[in-house]
Amino acid sequence: MSGDFRRAESGTELLARLEGRSSLKDIEPFLFADEGSPIHGDILEFHGPEGTGKTEMLYHLTARCILPKSEGGLEVEVLFIDTDYHFDMLRLVTILEHRLSQSTEDIIKHCLGRFFLVNCSSSNQLLITLYSLETMFCSHPSLCLFILDSLSAFYWIDRGNGGESVNLQEVTLKKCSKFMEKLVKEYHLVLFATTQTIMQKSSNSTERSSSLKLSCEEVDIDYRPYLCKSWQQMVNHRIFFSRHDNSGSSNQMFSIVSCHLKSNNIIKRLFSIRENGVHFC
Amino acid sequence: MGVLRVGLCPALTQEMIQLLRGIGIKTVVDLVSADLEEVSRKCSLSYKALVAVRRVLLVQFSSFPFNGADLYEELKTSTAILATGIASLDKLLDSGLYTGEVTEITGPPASGKTQVCLCTAASVAYSLGQSVLYIDSTGGLTASRLLQLLQARTEDEEEQKVFRVLPGDPKPCFQGLVGLSLPLLIGAGALQRIHVVRVFDIFQMLDAFQDLRGSISQQATNASGPVKIVVVDSVSAVVSPLLGGQHSEGLALMMQLARELKTLARELGIAVLVTNHVTRERESGKLRPALGRSWSFVPSTRVFLEAREGPGAPAGCRVASLTKSPRQPTGIQEVMEIGSCGTPEQNSSLEGSKS
Repeated sequence: MSGDFRRAESGTELLARLEGRSSLKDIEPFLFADEGSPIHGDILEFHGPEGTGKTEMLYHLTARCILPKSEGGLEVEVLFIDTDYHFDMLRLVTILEHRLSQSTEDIIKHCLGRFFLVNCSSSNQLLITLYSLETMFCSHPSLCLFILDSLSAFYWIDRGNGGESVNLQEVTLKKCSKFMEKLVKEYHLVLFATTQTIMQKSSNSTERSSSLKLSCEEVDIDYRPYLCKSWQQMVNHRIFFSRHDNSGSSNQMFSIVSCHLKSNNIIKRLFSIRENGVHFC
Repeated sequence: MGVLRVGLCPALTQEMIQLLRGIGIKTVVDLVSADLEEVSRKCSLSYKALVAVRRVLLVQFSSFPFNGADLYEELKTSTAILATGIASLDKLLDSGLYTGEVTEITGPPASGKTQVCLCTAASVAYSLGQSVLYIDSTGGLTASRLLQLLQARTEDEEEQKVFRVLPGDPKPCFQGLVGLSLPLLIGAGALQRIHVVRVFDIFQMLDAFQDLRGSISQQATNASGPVKIVVVDSVSAVVSPLLGGQHSEGLALMMQLARELKTLARELGIAVLVTNHVTRERESGKLRPALGRSWSFVPSTRVFLEAREGPGAPAGCRVASLTKSPRQPTGIQEVMEIGSCGTPEQNSSLEGSKS
């Protein structure tokens, strides 16, 4: 609440803000090029076309967070903002059932008690919801993971509403990005956001090489940035998802290319999706 | 959401709105994102009053977070699976169409998409006794074909079923049916549960959805019961004319339609079945669903239909492949007979799958 900074923080709120968040650095070491990622305040972007496993990866991370420590989880709470009614609760429950050693209804409900879902229907509603979620971050010190699926859902509608001016088209998303950055830094969260590849591969090769300034050996990434600059600049890690042509086996494989934007480390990994979720090879 | 008005919140008075407008705060979003200290200084309004108004606006317009456990409880009771009536397609879809999701059938022309839609409508209206909203933008629906599908279904079960045609129902085309055979009457009863809307452009389609919401929110009781499935044949017929060209308004309209379909599915607990046509990829020449990349994120399940190639292939035979699914592995295929959906041979396998 930007206008309330003169209001004194109570002791519990201060503690909740500074100390309560547990570290998420073991959440999925396969996803990151650097050791000890992600740290508090990191912002990660999953980018890829349809059917490449981005939402499955989010279920994988969510399950890892909400499972109890005895079953290999981190026992932290997760906030999931779903902008296009994409989230499938039944799939999350299937993944949890496969990962628990004994999957009773009570344990599943207990795990799901650590999961919060918010649906947004427009970028204005997303902005207003983010403002009102600030109290939730204050009052839930074990809420460490913040997921947004997906940030680009309102792109065409905002472009249509904004008319000719690019600034007007992007203004709400810019405000959302800035406020999310503030929330993540202030409350020591980790933000995972997905963006969809909705633009065609750029046929102009000079444009492509300038948009992706990293040197990748044989990696060919179909990336054309289209969201506002403030979002592109605040991302620490960008992970590109794509299908992997596996002519040998019948199992569909997917690949991720994980780029740490500050240190320029890049790794590539393969994974497949099974009944119990994502499985790295 | 939108412009600040007097009725939004008790503390928001007309003078407050005028003062705020004076410093450029006109909409709810402007007020909520403004620095209230500065606003109270510039407008000489009470800081406490502004904070109170902001709090009320946030509660009113933001979306409420749901706890996973509550959501799961609700889903367990409200999710239904609607059988399409074609046994092999039901196997592909993991027993049928799930409510709360959008399922898409794509394929080249004459691959059987409209037949699948008709068969699904017949199956839901007759076997499940639920209402169907059928939005037809191609003119592919004929009541005689629907009646044929329904009759074929009833021939096996005429002993057990009680016919549900209510006297005095305002359907002039069925007045002449009194005194006809029992299967025809039962078929007519199920036909009344299928509401057909013919649309020719996207605005008419959006209007049809508005009418559906209106009738559900008023809880208009009709003899047919609540609508459980919306069939849109086809969505590409109304959207393709809008795409292409320099401006992106067509894409914005398409995404609004997509949002409307998904919201209907989730909020009203309805299954949505849409059809789409195919285009060829530029580089590889492979077939892929039309309407582009942005649309590809909208359906949660996609089935691709094509005719079976090769000599000796029976005429009504189609191969359905699952290209996107939230719960089954993609790439599985099933063979189906579209001409005969609803005939006694098909019915005997239906009997087995229904139990």
